Amino acid sequence: MASGDIKGFYRQKKKQQKGGITKSVSASASKKKKPSKSGGSATLGATDPQTPVLFAHGAFDLTDDYGEDEERLRQFDMDMRYGPCIGLTRLQRWERASSMGLQPPADLRNLLSRASGPKSPDLECLWEGRV
Amino acid sequence: MRVDVEMSGGSPKLLERKQAVYRNLDERYEIHGEKYKGQQYSHIYFTRLHYMRNLLYSLVPKWKPNLPVNTVLGLEEEKECIIVGTIYKHMKLKPSILDEYSKERSKVPLAKPHNFVHPDDHLILEDESGRVKLAGSLLDPSAFVTGIVVALHGKETSEGKFFVLDMLEAGLPPQIKQPPSLTEDKFVVFVSGLSIGSSTFNPLQFQLLVDHITGHLGDENEQTFASQIVHFIIAGNSVQILQGLLNGQTIAPRDQSTLTEPIKELDILLNQLAAAMPVDIMPGPSDPANFSLPQQPLNRCLFPGASAYNTFISSTNPHQFELDDIQFLGTSGQNIDDLFKYSEAKNKLEFMERTLRWRHLVPTAPNTLGCFPFTDRDPFLIESCPHVYFVGNQDKYETTLLRGSDNQSVRLICIPKFCETGVAVMLNLRNLECHALSFSTSLNV
Repeated sequence: MASGDIKGFYRQKKKQQKGGITKSVSASASKKKKPSKSGGSATLGATDPQTPVLFAHGAFDLTDDYGEDEERLRQFDMDMRYGPCIGLTRLQRWERASSMGLQPPADLRNLLSRASGPKSPDLECLWEGRV
Repeated sequence: MRVDVEMSGGSPKLLERKQAVYRNLDERYEIHGEKYKGQQYSHIYFTRLHYMRNLLYSLVPKWKPNLPVNTVLGLEEEKECIIVGTIYKHMKLKPSILDEYSKERSKVPLAKPHNFVHPDDHLILEDESGRVKLAGSLLDPSAFVTGIVVALHGKETSEGKFFVLDMLEAGLPPQIKQPPSLTEDKFVVFVSGLSIGSSTFNPLQFQLLVDHITGHLGDENEQTFASQIVHFIIAGNSVQILQGLLNGQTIAPRDQSTLTEPIKELDILLNQLAAAMPVDIMPGPSDPANFSLPQQPLNRCLFPGASAYNTFISSTNPHQFELDDIQFLGTSGQNIDDLFKYSEAKNKLEFMERTLRWRHLVPTAPNTLGCFPFTDRDPFLIESCPHVYFVGNQDKYETTLLRGSDNQSVRLICIPKFCETGVAVMLNLRNLECHALSFSTSLNV
């Protein structure tokens, strides 16, 4: 699905360079809106299930040395529903979300409480020490 | 606590001081050893918006039932809807640290005005998804401040602004029902702005107050009156330490005593008071407590004499407590003074009413008023309406009874600075009526 969107996106860009007709510009504008809305920059995640932010351009090539658990926790960090993530440990943020009635996924808490070993998920948020 | 009365030619009669059941509710304002880990203020705004938004969402169906509720990002042009968010007021004259570095130094006036309101101020509504400028003449920016959460009904214009058609504030919170009125008169005395250590402090004036309250003055009638006082509240600014000594240089031993003199004097006076009745002392902007709200209780080691009594209570600022089931909430004035700097109203009581309607005690924190960066809560949200709401260190004594739409009734009190006015405030718990107690030591009438 991601690759399909990319193809559509690149195709429109080419047409624009020709200095295209009004019809194609409006078509490209309406088509352009779609990837930006579903691609997920700063989405709220309020009504639709949030599309994974870090998969926007379809590549798994940034895996480095973290596992799937860490990936899920990063999605939790980025989810705007639970508020800002910087300045809190992930566990604290989970507890805060839980006490505010936002119902964060319970299995994330299990992940965070049994953190140990080299491949374990990080207790601090994604941006800790980086900003 | 007994007050002895000497009757002419007879044996002394004993008058018992009345008592009221006191419950301290300051726990929400205490920091409990929470450490600052470098977090920013976004968390307070998030929790504030979350709580107020849920509240407003529950009120919106009764207000405008047929309109859709959107987020700021979901606004569509020319479509009427309701949005809920935090207000940000863009103020031209608001002092900014960056002004020191700006090239056009002449733009900023050197004399700082007391009020930063300007006709060009405009309002912006913000939620997690984005912000939108507010247009239309319904909302007057001079009545609003940054940090309050409201619901707005309107539509997006072609310029990308939001044209406001109507506004909904949370309104007065529900009140725990007032208990049936007491049968007897019981009084609470409020005083603030003693400023011991400043040049305006008149020791005789405060000593008069203490003597009167503890029953050492006057005849039997006066003493009967004094025996009905059940509690004494000092709402901030009890000491004033000479600023010249606090510039960071080491102080010579002979000057060190000028630092501690005011506090020692306060302790002696508090000792007399605490021996007679329960005393609550709140920290204020000039007291030796932390700067940012909520101010933590003044350390008991500052008052070696008074803290020996169990009637001496050092409380936080803001202070919340209960006397005979009557709910009290008050501050030492920083919240209202800050509203006064950044918005306009006809008097201080109106600012107090606005904070109740917005259901937030200190709306300008953390924007212009220092505040601890809480991560999981906003302790200044007013969840239930108090019966008595007081603010200390104001210029003059003002009071009114505010009635809410849901049968709430609140007594609003502005306590004047005692060092300047010599006025203390007495509140009757039976009917929540207030009157001023004025002390003067000048000999010319």
